[in-house]
Amino acid sequence: MTMKEKMQILEAAGYRYNFKREFYINRVERKVFSVEFIEDSKEERLRAALATPGPSAGDWDFKFNTAPSPSVRRELVSILG
Amino acid sequence: MADRKPEDWLREEYFVLLPQVRRVVQNLETRVRHELLPLTVHLKNFERIVITSGSKDCESAIDTLRRAQGESKVFDPNRGGTYTLTDLRDLAGVRVLAFPRTRWIEANDLLRAVFSSWESRPMQDPLSKSILVHKYNGYCSSTDQIRAELQISPMLIGQFLDIEHSAIYKPSPELEGAKPMMRDHTNAVFSALQAFDAELERLMQERNST
Repeated sequence: MTMKEKMQILEAAGYRYNFKREFYINRVERKVFSVEFIEDSKEERLRAALATPGPSAGDWDFKFNTAPSPSVRRELVSILG
Repeated sequence: MADRKPEDWLREEYFVLLPQVRRVVQNLETRVRHELLPLTVHLKNFERIVITSGSKDCESAIDTLRRAQGESKVFDPNRGGTYTLTDLRDLAGVRVLAFPRTRWIEANDLLRAVFSSWESRPMQDPLSKSILVHKYNGYCSSTDQIRAELQISPMLIGQFLDIEHSAIYKPSPELEGAKPMMRDHTNAVFSALQAFDAELERLMQERNST
């Protein structure tokens, strides 16, 4: 599956690419996908990640290849709001 | 006093480094112009070798370092002042644009011989894997702190990359989301420009042999 097809799946699921931060965000689901995660995922993994329920208000779910450290995670959450 | 963020430390560092960066730019550009003299004095009317130089501005340097921080693309606030702009490969840079392709190859051969110890990190065509732009990184004699970048590019590819870089790679709200979507189109442009260069080279060789 090409990157373009993966991006179409994300966009159909309501995700938008944030140019400055360079990842895909869905503010309703409160989930973030890194470009690296998308590139390295096969369709099944991508769809499975999309299907997981988003976190509760105030938190975000980061779909990264490597989970961010707690301090980086806090920084990201403060940026995303 | 509020804790300083990594960006605050880096802004301070930038202005400490700036005089050295400027010396590196001047040093490298002078050397490149000197080394290319055997080529530039013998250019035919339609041939071009253009040499430009510059340094990254403060915010662009910080942004480049930020984007290099793995998938998160943010600085870890716990690391405070441990980040450094001297990790960047291209605080200072010189670029050589050459036309036609044969001049690009000659310019690269001349400069590679002079900067043989510099690290080669060419930009490759994602599809054909052929080299689009030669890139070398290393230190000038004026400082061992600032790494510089020397780019040697075919003129058509270089000018396209200029536009692409300013329109797609620099934050631009109206183009939000455009970068990954443009990848296929960008690759198509690379292929077309390389095909144009190759055909022109073939025609010139054919004309010279008759």
